[in-house]
Amino acid sequence: MASASPASSTSGASTGSTASTASTASIVSVAGLSVAYRSGGREVPVVHEVSLEVAPGRTVALVGESGSGKSTVAATLLGHLRHGSRITGGSVRVDGKDVFALSAQELRRLRGGTVAMIAQNAGHALTPSMRIGRQIEEAGGDVPVVDLLEQVRLPRPAELARRYPHELSGGQQQRVAIAMAIAARPKVLVLDEPTTGLDVVTQRSVLDLIGALRDELGLAAVLVSHDLGVVAHMADEVTVLRSGRVVEAAPTHRLFAAPEDPYTRRLLASVPRLDDTGLAIVGDAGQREVRPKVEVPADAPVAVSARDVTIDYGSSRAVHGVSFDVRRGEVLALVGESGSGKSTLAWTLAGLRTPSGGTMAHDAGDLARPAQKRPLSLRRKVQLVFQNADMSLNPRRAVGDTVRRPLRFFGTASSRTEAATRARQLIADVRLDPALADRLPAQLSGGQRQRIGIARALAGEPDVLIADEITTALDVSVQADVLRLLDDLRRERQLACLFISHDLAVVRGIADRVVVLRHGVVVEEGPTEAVFAAPGHPYTRQLMAAALEPDPDAPPLAEPGPDWADAAEPDDMWTDHGDGHRVRRWRAVA
Amino acid sequence: MFSFVARRVAAAFGTLVLSSVLVFLAVQALPGDVATQVLGKDATADAVAALREKLKLDQPAWERYADWIQGALHGDFGTSLVSGKAVGGEVALYLGNSAVIALVTILFAVTGSLLLGILAGLYRDRWPDHLISTVSLVGMSVPEFVVATVLVLCFSVALPMFPAVVLYGPEASVGQLLPAVWLPAAALAVVMAAYIVRMARTSVIDVMASEYVTTARLKGLSTWRVVTRHTLPSALLPTLHVIALNVAWLAGGVAVVENVFNYPGIGKLMLSSVQNRDLPVIQAIALISAVVYVVCNLAADLGAMALNPKLRTRGRTR
Repeated sequence: MASASPASSTSGASTGSTASTASTASIVSVAGLSVAYRSGGREVPVVHEVSLEVAPGRTVALVGESGSGKSTVAATLLGHLRHGSRITGGSVRVDGKDVFALSAQELRRLRGGTVAMIAQNAGHALTPSMRIGRQIEEAGGDVPVVDLLEQVRLPRPAELARRYPHELSGGQQQRVAIAMAIAARPKVLVLDEPTTGLDVVTQRSVLDLIGALRDELGLAAVLVSHDLGVVAHMADEVTVLRSGRVVEAAPTHRLFAAPEDPYTRRLLASVPRLDDTGLAIVGDAGQREVRPKVEVPADAPVAVSARDVTIDYGSSRAVHGVSFDVRRGEVLALVGESGSGKSTLAWTLAGLRTPSGGTMAHDAGDLARPAQKRPLSLRRKVQLVFQNADMSLNPRRAVGDTVRRPLRFFGTASSRTEAATRARQLIADVRLDPALADRLPAQLSGGQRQRIGIARALAGEPDVLIADEITTALDVSVQADVLRLLDDLRRERQLACLFISHDLAVVRGIADRVVVLRHGVVVEEGPTEAVFAAPGHPYTRQLMAAALEPDPDAPPLAEPGPDWADAAEPDDMWTDHGDGHRVRRWRAVA
Repeated sequence: MFSFVARRVAAAFGTLVLSSVLVFLAVQALPGDVATQVLGKDATADAVAALREKLKLDQPAWERYADWIQGALHGDFGTSLVSGKAVGGEVALYLGNSAVIALVTILFAVTGSLLLGILAGLYRDRWPDHLISTVSLVGMSVPEFVVATVLVLCFSVALPMFPAVVLYGPEASVGQLLPAVWLPAAALAVVMAAYIVRMARTSVIDVMASEYVTTARLKGLSTWRVVTRHTLPSALLPTLHVIALNVAWLAGGVAVVENVFNYPGIGKLMLSSVQNRDLPVIQAIALISAVVYVVCNLAADLGAMALNPKLRTRGRTR
């Protein structure tokens, strides 16, 4: 393996750079760690001779794509291994103690005192049947719960302590998880994808909080993340892992400025940037080239036209009077935080909900009706690709069959044999080997599954494709491929594409026009370039300011806007910036 | 939370009314004339007419239903056609005897199988799990009368620890019946335990693999605390309804086992009433089993509410 030599040389370099402190004062020291997982009677190595040093007060990031072993390494700092795994070599020392040589009693003391972990999904990491206060209290330490909740900047801490986890928002849950982690005043914090499930604005505030607490309490931190923006923002040093091996380790600035290993270069190049004006194409050596967007012809017909759409969940209104058009061959992005109503809108367009007001028109019929009441000819014209391909494909059905069924159902293939041929053709169209048709979803990678999801949606020969966060669950390099595929397909097939995403860099790369939603209201819309060049609404600016670039020195794309209040009147809603770029009226408040 | 409870109770009440109508209709639909059946084929037309009038069979069905329900609400289920005694008192007597078995069964089977299930879940794929799972599966697949017979063979015949049959009538005191309770209770418990063990095991395994249990472990908590505070409340939730269904099943399961042991309980009364066409008694027993089912499920729903804060705090705003 070629990565072996850079591993040894660069890890030597990184320890060398902090040699004055590392050798004597490292609080975390992982040396030659190897971990294997037992599966079906065979030992599968998942981590190979990984070494890592963390000095007090420093943050080291473990970066890699899924399956790189980064979470496995991080969990060993707490003496935790997944069921069926075992250490096959090396050692993990935290605060001078060999973690895997500790007795059960000592290990509990280590976990309760020296090292604490903040897990990826606080919504799943908090026990649903226990009050917040009790769970924090349990974590030990002498700091009163209310003080801890105040420290993580949660409002009305005394009242909040009596709540149950499900009564909190995602951001609040993550703050509670942080409070729990710092309760016992640990020396080392392990952060396993601490903000992955959160939207940009919440992510930024949680990261700022973690950073502030880390500095205030003088904590050493190990940050596990696949998000290079987060890493650039938080870490002092970065260790890049691939298939369980260290590929490169360097101080953050050096790594982002001059990555040495080709893999690191490719990884960095794959990340979409906020200033890309098209999709990036990444070469084997990590060189990137931005493919310019193709203009949508001015006379492209409108495929879907939504006017004043309102959608209610029971008595609460999720979408308030939203209007937009999507033309054939155009990508319209809906952008906003969770709860902004963007997915609700997409699902309604797909016919999974019924709007409570407004119109949604398509050539082939009325889209304001639920899918089961739409005629077959209309139903096949509007297709949805789901966020999570693992869960939206039937796990017991060969993927070729999954693609073949809608062909027969929608009547787009007239016979069995034709359907089988067309299914293989569709699989080839999404740039997969048709030989994969006989596989089950579990036998494919995440990116391959998502392509199958797209192929299935294409089987009805739609003219409208709704893509709901389709790349959120994918690794960056895979994300780049899937985005390029989507971009190609909409050109080839003149698809009108509604693209839902919270990732502004992705949106800038693929979308022709952008609609920014906040609490179910459109605050700004316009051509992508116009909106990114001159965001007019303070909320849009807030979103852009919160987005993190994979570059520690990148200036924010926009300064956060002033505090504001809505100033739209029924007959005077918009400030027009020309060329379809318009901003909902607002006024600054002191 | 109040509305949730109110809705559940209302639904339970509705179910009861509906089942009382069904019970009544089912009994009405039985073929043949009751008066002729009771008096025999050779009865004179006058005698039949007189009995029909006494039983109010000449009145329309809905009036008889109203009468019956009104009486039932006051504990008056009419008079037995066979013994001529008040049905309410007779059923209560047998029911009391069955309740002794049911209580003992519930007490030991439910707590025992819960504990075993949790243990199996915690020791997943190790020997305690294999032992518990296998034994409970065997118990589940053998019918209760076979279990009962085997128990009699072992503990009355081979090792005379418990009486094989009950020699007392329905008026026997609890003290007299108590020695005879254990074998029927054990037979029922063996059959019932398997479902609860399996459910408890599966949900303990699921919850132990959850991220919040991992988090609790990584907080440095002791295993005991992780299990009791973080695992069990969530793991018991799905088990609760299985327990409720099993407890309700006891009402029927008891019939077979009581006959094996000649135990003077509700099951025995039911069987003899069916043989004798003693309609008021059958009606009363059917209604009571419906009550048992409904009450058990209501209890499970309310228990789920106690364990699941999501149900309790519904409607509270963020």
